[in-house]
Amino acid sequence: MATSKTKKDSKAKARSKKADDKQKNILEMLKSHGAKIYDDLDNGQFPKFSIPSRSVSNIVYDKKLRQYILGNNAALRSSRNSAQLRSFTQLMWLAFFANRLTNEKKSSTLRDVYYSSQAFAVEFEDQSESDNIIVDLEAVTSKPREDFHIFPEERSSIFGDLNIEYTIPGYEGKTMNLANHPDGYSIGPSLTTAELVDTSAEIVIAIEKGGLFTRFVEEQVDKKFKSIIINTGGQAPRSTRTLLKRLHDEMKLPIICLTDGDVYGEHIAMVIKSGSANAAHLRELTVPDAKWVGVWATDIEKYKLPTIPMTESDIKRCYDLQKDPRYQDGIWKKELDVFLRLKRKAELEAFSKYGLTNITDKYLPQKLELAKSL
Amino acid sequence: MSSIKEKFNQISPSEFFYSNRDLAGFSNPTRSLYTAVREFVENALDACDQKGILPDVHLTIKAVDPDKPDPKPYILTVKDNGPGIDAEHIPLAFGTVLYGSKFGLKQARGMFGLGATMAILYGQITTNKPVIVKSSSDAKIQNQFEILLDIQKNKPVILKHTTKDISKKGLSVSICLEGDYSKAGNKIRDYVYETSLITPYASITFDDPKGNKFSHPRFVKDIPPPPTIIRPHPHGIDVERIRRMIVESQFEIPTIDDAMIEKVRKDLGLSKKNLSFTSIMDKAKKKWKNLPRQVRVVIALMSFLKMDFEKLNKIRIEDIDMPNKKLFYWDFGDSQSKSIDMDPESQYYKQLTNTVQGEPLTTFLTKRFQRVGPTTAVKFAEFAKLKPEKRMGTLTNQELVNLSDSLQKFDDFMAPDSSCLAPLGAEPLEKGIKKFFNPDFVAVVQRPASAYSGFPFIIEMGIAYGGDIKTGGPHVYRYANRIPLLYDEGSDVVIKVVNDTDWGRYKVKGEPPFIIVSHICSTRIPYKTAGKENVADRQEIERELRLALQFLSRKLSSFMSKRGQAEAAKKRANLYAKYIPMIAEFCTELAGKKKEPNYKKMLETEIETETKKAVKEEKEIGNK
Ligand SMILES: Nc1ncnc2c1ncn2[C@@H]1O[C@H](COP(=O)(O)OP(=O)(O)OP(=O)(O)O)[C@@H](O)[C@H]1O
Ligand SMILES: [Mg+2]
Repeated sequence: MATSKTKKDSKAKARSKKADDKQKNILEMLKSHGAKIYDDLDNGQFPKFSIPSRSVSNIVYDKKLRQYILGNNAALRSSRNSAQLRSFTQLMWLAFFANRLTNEKKSSTLRDVYYSSQAFAVEFEDQSESDNIIVDLEAVTSKPREDFHIFPEERSSIFGDLNIEYTIPGYEGKTMNLANHPDGYSIGPSLTTAELVDTSAEIVIAIEKGGLFTRFVEEQVDKKFKSIIINTGGQAPRSTRTLLKRLHDEMKLPIICLTDGDVYGEHIAMVIKSGSANAAHLRELTVPDAKWVGVWATDIEKYKLPTIPMTESDIKRCYDLQKDPRYQDGIWKKELDVFLRLKRKAELEAFSKYGLTNITDKYLPQKLELAKSL
Repeated sequence: MSSIKEKFNQISPSEFFYSNRDLAGFSNPTRSLYTAVREFVENALDACDQKGILPDVHLTIKAVDPDKPDPKPYILTVKDNGPGIDAEHIPLAFGTVLYGSKFGLKQARGMFGLGATMAILYGQITTNKPVIVKSSSDAKIQNQFEILLDIQKNKPVILKHTTKDISKKGLSVSICLEGDYSKAGNKIRDYVYETSLITPYASITFDDPKGNKFSHPRFVKDIPPPPTIIRPHPHGIDVERIRRMIVESQFEIPTIDDAMIEKVRKDLGLSKKNLSFTSIMDKAKKKWKNLPRQVRVVIALMSFLKMDFEKLNKIRIEDIDMPNKKLFYWDFGDSQSKSIDMDPESQYYKQLTNTVQGEPLTTFLTKRFQRVGPTTAVKFAEFAKLKPEKRMGTLTNQELVNLSDSLQKFDDFMAPDSSCLAPLGAEPLEKGIKKFFNPDFVAVVQRPASAYSGFPFIIEMGIAYGGDIKTGGPHVYRYANRIPLLYDEGSDVVIKVVNDTDWGRYKVKGEPPFIIVSHICSTRIPYKTAGKENVADRQEIERELRLALQFLSRKLSSFMSKRGQAEAAKKRANLYAKYIPMIAEFCTELAGKKKEPNYKKMLETEIETETKKAVKEEKEIGNK
C-alpha cells in the first residue's frame, strides 16, 4: 500500500512538474518577446516584429501533416507605421495580460479579455477586434490561446471512465472520475488543463449532438463499448479538439466521429481530423487518425433512413468542399459525391424510426466494427 | 419664345397671364414676391451692364399695413443708376407683354420681354394699383409715369405723367403686390446675397419689411467686358425667324409722293432744274454710286415708265410683277390703271428684282448670319438643293421649311461666335468666392466657348473647401447669365452632373465643407420654363459642365491629399505620443524589468519631425 502510495505520489509529482514546465515555457517565450521590444525601445528604435501572414494566399494544405498550415509569408509589424501602431499596442498589451494570466494561473474568456483591456486604456472597437488580436498572439507564438489561459465561452461535454487531476489553483492534486455524473462534464479551462491520469476506455466516440450524447449515457455506451463519449455540440470548439488530441496522443485512444448524415456533419468530422483554415497558424489541434464512421450518405440508402431534402446552401457547400484538397479521395470524396447525387440528408435521430435504441443496439456496433478496418 | 408670342396673339393677355403664370414664376404670393424682386433687379443690372455702368441697385420691400398677417400687399421698389428709358418708350417697356430690347443676340439676364410686365400685371391683378416708373435718361429731367395695363388690349393706360429736374440718370420702378414675406424672405435674402457673388462689381442694398438693411458693397472695380451683339448662327434658327429676317431684308417699294420726288431731285443735284427724261437718266448714271437705295429704286421705275418728274407726280405705282416683267400703275390724269413691260436686259431690272424679290440665297446667308463665307454659302445651297441665286422673297412655304431644316443639319458652318457672351471671368469669380467663404482652398476655371444648337455658351465654375463653408457639402450655387437660380434644383443639369460625381475618388469624404459655383453664360440659356429656375440638360452643356467639374475636382483632390498629408503627420505625432509610452509600459513588465526603456528622446525627435512636416504641407496649400 505504502509503496503504491509513494508511487502514486511520485507520478503525481511528475505530472505537476510537467504542467509547471509547460507554464514555464510559455512564460519564457513571452518574456523573450517582451525583451526584444524592450531592447528596441531602449536603443531609441521603433520596435517591430514579424508575424506569419494569415491571408488566404498564405494558407496552404500540408499533405504530410494532413492539415492546413500557414505558408512562409510573414508580415512585418512596426510601431513606426501609424496604421499599425494601435494594433501593435493592443498586441503588446495582450502579451502582457496573457503573461499575468499564466503567471497567476487565472483563466479568462474571450469576452473577459475584451473588457479587461479597458482597465489599461487599451481600446478595442468591439470584441471581434480583440478576438482578432488574440489570433495574432497565437500566430506570433504558434501557441493556442488556451495555453495563455484564454478560453472560449462555448462548452461541450465529456462522459466516461477517465481519471483526471486538476492543475488549476485551488484544485491542484484533486482527482476526478468523469463517469461520476450522468450529465457529463463540461469541457472548460480546468478540464482542458487537467492531467489525464488513467482510463479503462479503449475508444473515444465524438458525437455531434447533445440529445444523442444523453441517449448514449443512458444506454451505457461507455460501459458496453469501453468508450469515452464526447458531445462536440456541433463544430467542435478548440478546447474540445485539444482534449481529443490529448486523449489520442497521451492515452493512445482511437477517436471516431458520429455526425448527422449531411455535408456539415461530414465536415465536423474533417475539422476534428485535420483542422480548419481559420486555425492554420496552430498545429496542436488536429487528430489526423480520427475516423468518421457515420452517418454516411451511403448509410441513408443502406439503412433506409427517413430523409429531408438538401437546401440550396447544403448543395453549394458540397460543391465548395469538392474543391478542398482533403476531399479528393477515400470515403470523404465518395460520400460527398453520394450526398450530391441523393440531394437528401438524414439526421442521427432518424434511426429512432426503428426504435429509440436502434442506434446504440444496431448501428453503433456495426460502425465500431467497421472502424477497425478504416 | 416665338411659341409664347403666337399664343399671345390668340388669347387675351389676362388669360395669357393666368395660363402662363406658373411658367413665369407667379404661382403663389411667396413665389410671386420673390419673382417680382428678381425681375426688377435683373432688369436694373442688365441696363447698367449694357452701358458699362457700375451698378448701384437699391431694393426696398415695405408692407402696406405691417400689422396684417401674411399674405398681404407689399410695395416693392427697385432703383438703379442705369441709363434709364426715354419717356416715349416707358409705357411700352412696362405696359406691354413681349416688348424688350434684349432680343438681339447677346448675353443678358432678360430674354423674353416678359419679366417686368408679368410682375406689374401680377401686382395690378392682386392689388389694383398702378406701377410707378421714374426714369431719367439724360441726368436732367426725370419722367414719372403711373401706368395701368389694359390687359384686354395689351396696351398701357397712362394715369399720370409728370416731369421734374434731376441730376442723376437712372430708373426706379415701384409696384404694389400681394406677397408673403415671412415665407419668401429667406429666398429673397439668399437671392440678393448670391447675386452679389456673381455680380461683384455691383453694389446692392436691400431694405426689408422688418426694418433690416442688407448691404452688399461692390468689391471688384471693373465691369467685365461687355458682350457685342452678333448675327445669329444658322444652327440656332427656326422658320419663324427666317421669315422675319426675309421681311427685314426686303426693301419696300417707296411711295412716290412729293417728298420722295423732292429727295430724288436733291440727291441728283436737280433741286432747281427741270430736266427731260433722258437728261435725268444721264445724270443718274453719273451719280449712281452715291445714290441711296430708295433713290435708285425710284430712278429704276422712272427708266421703265420713261417719265420725268412732272409726269411721275401724276401716277401711283400699283404692283410690280417681276416674273411677268410687268409694271402696273394708276394714272391720276386718266383715272385708270395702266401697265408697261419691263426690259429684263436693262440694268435697272436687276435693281428692282433685288428690291422686290429679296436677296439671293448666298447673299442672305453671308450678310445675315455670323461666320458664313461665300464658299460655305454655295456649298450649303447645294446641300439644301436650292439655287445659290434663288431670291429669298420667292421661296415657297415648303422651300422655307426645307431651308430651315437644312440650316440645322448642315455641318460645315463654323462654330458660333462667342463674342456675344459676357462671362464674369475667373479672377473676379475667385475673388468673390474668397470674400464670401474665406475658404482654405479655392479653384476656378473658365472653359473655352462651346455651342449647342447654334447658341454659344461658356461654363465658368469654382470650387472651394473649408473656411466658413458649412459642412454637408457639396453646396451648389447655380448661376445662368449672372442670375442665381434658387428654385427647382432637383431637375437641373448642374445638379445632375454634381450628383453623378463620386467624391470619394477625389478624397472628399464624409460631410465635407465645400461648395461649387457654376455659371452658364449663353445667348440662350435652355431654361425649362420662363420662370428661369432650372437649366435643361443639353448634351453639349452637360459635357462642358463635366469637364469643368473634373478639372476642379482634380485640383481639390490634390489639395485634399496635401491637407491629408498634413493631417496624417499631425495624427502620427499624436499616435506616437499616445501609444509608444503604453508599449514601453507593457514590455517592461513582460521583459521582467523594473525600469522603463530609454525611449523618451527618440519619441520627442519623431514628434518634432512629424509636426514640421505638417507645417510644411499646410504652408504649401496656403492654409491659414
Ligand atoms: N431698369 C431699367 N433700365 C432701363 N431699361 C429697362 C429697365 N427695366 C426694363 N427696361 C427695358 O424694358 C424692357 C422690358 O423688360 P422686361 O423685363 O419685360 O423684359 P426683358 O428683361 O427684356 O426680358 P425678360 O422677360 O426675360 O425679363 C427691357 O428689355 C429693357 O429694354
Ligand atoms: Mg427682365
